[in-house]
Amino acid sequence: MGDAADHSVVVELLGIRKQFPGVLANDDISLQIRQGEIFAILGENGAGKTTLMNILFGLYRPDEGKIRIRGREVEFSSPRDATALGIGMVHQHFKLVENYTVAQNIILGLEPLKKWLGLFPLVNEKAANKEIALLSDHYGLKVDPRLPVGEASVSVQQRVEILKMLYRKADILILDEPTAMLAPQEIEHLIEVIHELRRHGNTVILITHKLDEIKRLADRCAVLRRGRLVDVFDVASTDTAHMAATMVGQSLDFEIIKEDRPFGEVVLEVENLTVMKERNVTAVRDVSFSVREGEVVALAGVAGNGQVEIVEAVYGQMKASSGRVLLKGRDITGHSIRTRIREGISYVPEDRQRTGLVIDMTLSENLALKTYGQAPFSKRKVMNRTAFKRHANKLIEAYDIRSGSGDATIVHSMSGGNQQKAIVAREIDLGNQLIIFVQPTRGLDIAARTHIHRQIMEERAKGHAILLVSLELDEIMELADTIGVLYNGVLRKIAPAGELTLEEVGQLMLGVGA
Amino acid sequence: MIDKIIIDGLAFSLPLFAMAIGGIFSEKSGITMLALEGIQGFGAFCGAVAFAYLQPVIRGGTQVIVYPVLFAAMLGGMIFALLHAYMSIRFRINQVISGVVVNILAMSLTIFLTGLINEGLTGEPSNKIWLGAAPRFSVPGISRIPVIGAIFRDLYIFAPFIVVFAVVSAILIYKTRFGLRLRACGENPESVEAAGCSVKRIRYLALVICGLLTGLGGMNFAFAFSANFSPTIYMGYGYLAIAALICGNWDIRRTLLTCLIFGFARSGGYQLILKLGMSSDVSDLLLMIPYVLTLLLLLFFSRHNHPPSALGSDYEYDRR
Amino acid sequence: MKKTESGKTLTARLRSSRLLIPLASIVLTFAVLTIVFVAIGRNPFAAIYSFFQGSGLGMKPSYSKSSSMLTDFLSYLGILSPMLLGSLGVVVGLRGGLFNIGVSGQMLTAGFLATILVGYSKLPPPLSIPLVLLIGLLAGAALGAMIGWLKYRFNVHEVVSSIMFNYIVSFLTGYFIKTKYVDPIIRSSRQVAANARLHIIFKTASGLKLVIPVSIFIAVAMAFLIRFYLERMSGGFEIRMVGFNREGAAYAGVPIRNVMIRTMLISGALAGLAGVTYYLGYYSTMVPKDLPSLGYDAIAVALLGNLGPVSCILSSALITIFQKGAVYMSSATGVVREIASLVTGILLLFSSLGVSMRERSRHYD
Repeated sequence: MGDAADHSVVVELLGIRKQFPGVLANDDISLQIRQGEIFAILGENGAGKTTLMNILFGLYRPDEGKIRIRGREVEFSSPRDATALGIGMVHQHFKLVENYTVAQNIILGLEPLKKWLGLFPLVNEKAANKEIALLSDHYGLKVDPRLPVGEASVSVQQRVEILKMLYRKADILILDEPTAMLAPQEIEHLIEVIHELRRHGNTVILITHKLDEIKRLADRCAVLRRGRLVDVFDVASTDTAHMAATMVGQSLDFEIIKEDRPFGEVVLEVENLTVMKERNVTAVRDVSFSVREGEVVALAGVAGNGQVEIVEAVYGQMKASSGRVLLKGRDITGHSIRTRIREGISYVPEDRQRTGLVIDMTLSENLALKTYGQAPFSKRKVMNRTAFKRHANKLIEAYDIRSGSGDATIVHSMSGGNQQKAIVAREIDLGNQLIIFVQPTRGLDIAARTHIHRQIMEERAKGHAILLVSLELDEIMELADTIGVLYNGVLRKIAPAGELTLEEVGQLMLGVGA
Repeated sequence: MIDKIIIDGLAFSLPLFAMAIGGIFSEKSGITMLALEGIQGFGAFCGAVAFAYLQPVIRGGTQVIVYPVLFAAMLGGMIFALLHAYMSIRFRINQVISGVVVNILAMSLTIFLTGLINEGLTGEPSNKIWLGAAPRFSVPGISRIPVIGAIFRDLYIFAPFIVVFAVVSAILIYKTRFGLRLRACGENPESVEAAGCSVKRIRYLALVICGLLTGLGGMNFAFAFSANFSPTIYMGYGYLAIAALICGNWDIRRTLLTCLIFGFARSGGYQLILKLGMSSDVSDLLLMIPYVLTLLLLLFFSRHNHPPSALGSDYEYDRR
Repeated sequence: MKKTESGKTLTARLRSSRLLIPLASIVLTFAVLTIVFVAIGRNPFAAIYSFFQGSGLGMKPSYSKSSSMLTDFLSYLGILSPMLLGSLGVVVGLRGGLFNIGVSGQMLTAGFLATILVGYSKLPPPLSIPLVLLIGLLAGAALGAMIGWLKYRFNVHEVVSSIMFNYIVSFLTGYFIKTKYVDPIIRSSRQVAANARLHIIFKTASGLKLVIPVSIFIAVAMAFLIRFYLERMSGGFEIRMVGFNREGAAYAGVPIRNVMIRTMLISGALAGLAGVTYYLGYYSTMVPKDLPSLGYDAIAVALLGNLGPVSCILSSALITIFQKGAVYMSSATGVVREIASLVTGILLLFSSLGVSMRERSRHYD
């Protein structure tokens, strides 16, 4: 690599500090990134990686600290300034307009114009389409400029985001958790693209928490922990165990104990389930599977291939257009959500704030969100506040839920991790036979993640049936007894976890393979 | 009779259309617009006040005075639209509440000021400002053609303005880069922010245009339908315009169609009573038609429409 | 053992802010009012006091033979009741996430039906009064439930549909009043029979005729009842859940359709009660095609009262002072009566800034 001579340092962050209400996201971070290198920023969820890069991209303004690009000190008043200096960023949640075409999304903000009647500047869509087709060929990122982005797959959408940067002639490219939503083979393709970008002379900054990807891609890696820069490694000469330890900062026991037990009776039976979405789109096609007592069945697949719709049909949020759902032998296909909850289904949803909780209500109200109408919480339709409080404190203690004012806390002031703890606590406390988890550890740090995994294993040990949907394959491989892979709404294969390899799962997720 | 239906129908549809386009600008940029009623009322008020003060001074009759009056009306509409924008953007108020507040405030403010102004001008605290009949004209030649020619006959002086503004608006929204960014603000403001454009600025601009167009529509209604400014300017036409753009699925052409349906239903119903010779009390009953029709249309079209995805959503403007 | 991350200051801050905004709104409005009065050359303090005098909360310089400050005050209570009831209707709607702007139309419907069904009958008070109230509840509830159903089933925005119903009802009732029930002299509907009116008349020894509005007791009782319902009963809890987060409520098993219709039903019922206390209590006749502006003032009351049912007693008392006192103020100062509506409008403006501003949750994960 050689010495970092001044003129090869393309990005320099000095003493960056950023405070948000209640959390110090970046605490005095100083970094140097060299021209042409692939630089990784490693850290757990919540370590401050995205905030730091948002500052570099001009979306946030640092409270303190300086930024130097190619030796010159700069101040960004908006992403436009950063873009002008060649910095581009692909966020974890894409910033795309669904009903615009690929081309319109890419040119937004920098539109090519044509003069209509010699006077009025109008957007030149034809020129845009042409330019993007050229760009796409040049970098090997195949897209159809006229395709509405809402109809594109996740990996195509990501290509659009990357092309957005290249269209603006960015040469410092920031990618935030780019592989989070991709299937294994798509990840391979992306890795090739990143190498290609480097070959073209670009500098790539990669935000990730995946160690194996860092090993394969990065030259150097900075580790952030709770807003602070802990260390900067040379990747080739550092092993993953050391990186992991630095990232986490403590030697916690992360092992999950998964006992081998025989499964019991069938709790959930899904028979030939077909679910339609709006506009005659079939989201789930003739899917059948079952979940037994003490079994964890995981549904794997790239986001948007029907997993969520299956769960919503089982729980009652969506109607099945054909097929049946049976709970302990009883046909619950037409039942209301409330009935299903009472008959024995618990559900930890993906969206904590919009679905799983009513964040404007108190913690004690949220912990009784499904049971408020029953004894002891209500008697003859009048609610008993003391019962709410007692129940809430019980759960707060048992599940270590932290909040500003205990059971009277308004939930939206609680951290994401504690909100998730509250939901899990409530759902498990219902004591239902079937528990559904969708993306249970999204956005959580490794300690919280391990804790939830342990709770899932505990429920499994109690003999409950668990249906798990996750986009993280390692989570699935770690927890599942049985894995089903979905592609385009079809359950392509379902088999005991031991019989499936990661590669096979990956292929099935992309529609190829057996 | 058909000629009458067309002429009267257009006379109603066009100002309604102007207001609806104003609403489209606002909603497409992501700001819920329920305030059209108040904005058009305040715009009409400003125009009427301009008329009251200028009329004794300007020579050339109504033909000339229309222009400064229109200008005042559009300016007035812009002021109140900006009030709604300010409450929605700076204070991030629930935009439905903000819209209704603007309506109520406009009503009470204009009625109060009318009384004051009349007191000052005439000594009588009346709640009406007389405008007299608005000038009308016919396009020479074409207007002579039977039936179709009625479209170009007896048009109010405002009609060509509205038509021109409508065409310009369509081009602005769908063909210019301002329009591309504006629509993106209504679908995913984060994408606009990441592209380096200011969502705040675009939305304020959208509301300015909304105010100008709505003020124009309001002035048209005052001049054409009541020949005065009074509390009757608040006839719910602002809400009709909103309903029109909802049924029009936020698209200018479909909204025009809906406005035409409203206008022709109204004029058609009126001609029907005349033809059948019913009493004037029954004609009151038929004034219900636009509102009933609106309800029915909303019933059929609200299910499958697609409002802008980020409409009315709470957006953090100064996240930095 | 409670685990807390921040101190108690959070709750203290929240509590103080709930009172701060309404108080600030009132102070600011009074300030603006003072400025307006000064600008048009009137003594602001005398002018503002004249509002209170007109409402029976201050002594007028002289009274006619059959009136006194007490009779003024009772009359004030008579118009306070529909204001309070109407605002309760708006509150219930808004807490459930629905904006009932159709209070005027619901008032008209209820008032009209009660007038023609009971007001023109010869039923004795023990029968007629409860019947009037019942019709008020049912008529308003029906219209409200319809609006709620249209929202759920057809996704029709309740503000637009309410306004449409307001106009449809006003034209419909206007037609029937003008053709079938008109009293040609006063050009509005025929007077309602004395037996059906919602008040108790009391003649004092000194010859004063005291008209005690029954409705005020009903209205205040309703305020407490509604608060109990919303805060302590499971049905009200569901309404609040749906108002905060419809998706989360659905996930929790709440039957959304039922709750939305229930919300508008209750809201409409309250508006209907407001209607009968207005048309058969305070007034005894209905002017055709006249939509009571009280329907919109009720929104101001609801927002100023921070959407709290019992707080609405105070906020409606304040706003009614301006509405009721406007006539006397106008004769005392010569300023147009409509300034009262202006006050309501400005108060609405300031208090709406308060209600909708709250700590936004930030998503960092």
